[in-house]
Amino acid sequence: MTWTCQQTEARLSDYLDGLLDATEQSAFNQHVNTCAACAPLVASVAHTLGGLYALEQLDAPPQLETAILRATLGAVPRKRNLWTWLDALQSPRFIYSAVSAVATMVLLLTATGFNWRRPKLADLAPATIYRNADSKIHLVYARSTKFVSDLRVVMEIQSRINETEQNPAMREDTTPQSSPKKEPGQTDNSNPSSPKQQNRADEIGKNLRVLACEFPILSGAVVDGVDRRVP
Amino acid sequence: MEQDAQLVLQCLQGDGSAWEELVRRHTRRIFNICYRFTGNRTEAEDLTQDVFLRVYRTLNSYRSAYGGFATWMTSVTRNLLIDHYRRTKRDRMTDSLDDAMPVVENKESVARRPDEQALMGELSGQVQSALTRLSPELREAVILRDLQQLEYIEIQRVLAVPEGTVKSRINRGRIELARILQQMGVRPS
Repeated sequence: MTWTCQQTEARLSDYLDGLLDATEQSAFNQHVNTCAACAPLVASVAHTLGGLYALEQLDAPPQLETAILRATLGAVPRKRNLWTWLDALQSPRFIYSAVSAVATMVLLLTATGFNWRRPKLADLAPATIYRNADSKIHLVYARSTKFVSDLRVVMEIQSRINETEQNPAMREDTTPQSSPKKEPGQTDNSNPSSPKQQNRADEIGKNLRVLACEFPILSGAVVDGVDRRVP
Repeated sequence: MEQDAQLVLQCLQGDGSAWEELVRRHTRRIFNICYRFTGNRTEAEDLTQDVFLRVYRTLNSYRSAYGGFATWMTSVTRNLLIDHYRRTKRDRMTDSLDDAMPVVENKESVARRPDEQALMGELSGQVQSALTRLSPELREAVILRDLQQLEYIEIQRVLAVPEGTVKSRINRGRIELARILQQMGVRPS
């Protein structure tokens, strides 16, 4: 079987794809091995085919699918099913919000006098909640006022004690070792001719005793020290 | 392919998620055909989007007897690529005047597509460059056969030409491509 250069060019793809029968294949090979024009042609096309096969599939840009869906469907639909809802419930943001909401509810109910050990539906009635809240607010206000008042007294006594301790000369002036004016039977250093000071000291001493009952921590330190000085 | 036909049916019944699935399955393939034909990523992205837009609008004209959804979609892609080729012919003719100054053109081409140059190896880049210099008839035949690995019968349906013409175009396309590569200085080792 004779084979020409035109046949080689026309059947080159069939040869490369393995579509020639045995007789054609043999004639093709025989011609190419002896033809100075066809040999480089076959080699270069085979090399080109190798280059084409080596071209890799490129990845499409990630935003392309979104752009296509937006162009066709309008807004890109978001899948909403049971699992996506459950996923949303597991987000830290939702958990923090839920915990803070529950904590707020517990605080408010406790503040309005709700009994957690014996919960009653009547305790949740708006009138009951209002009454309890009003009474609690007044109670807290009264306690706060009393606490501030007591604290002021304590601070005053504390400052006086500090003044006395830091200035011994003043203490000597106010409590002379031997007073010519001291009356017989008088054992303290107070001046009986100053009833206002005496009354003031009596009042402070009374307040301190009350405070000692309410704040036991003060009874060992401040109150004892004052008691030694204040009759 | 049967799954594609089922998805098309669901799309026609208004199921948006079926269309999403079709887009997910075919975007990469269509993008690659467009990129190999144009040699430009931006143009390929725009053309891919146009292809899906046209497919979406003409989905009710698809018949499974035609030869599979992928073949039909490739046919739509091919038509759009040819339209695009004709539309941009004037721009290319202007570019071809610049070919008279090869040194300047080479510098520009490197500066114009640095990402493509980095993405492809040396031979791959040269083959891609040579592909864009083939005539559109030969280029589409080579791309469908040697890059998309389509059968002759599928290419015949996509191009709407007889089998003999398909084989002839593929053969001439390969030989022409080898000739262009030789002109570019690429020779078999």
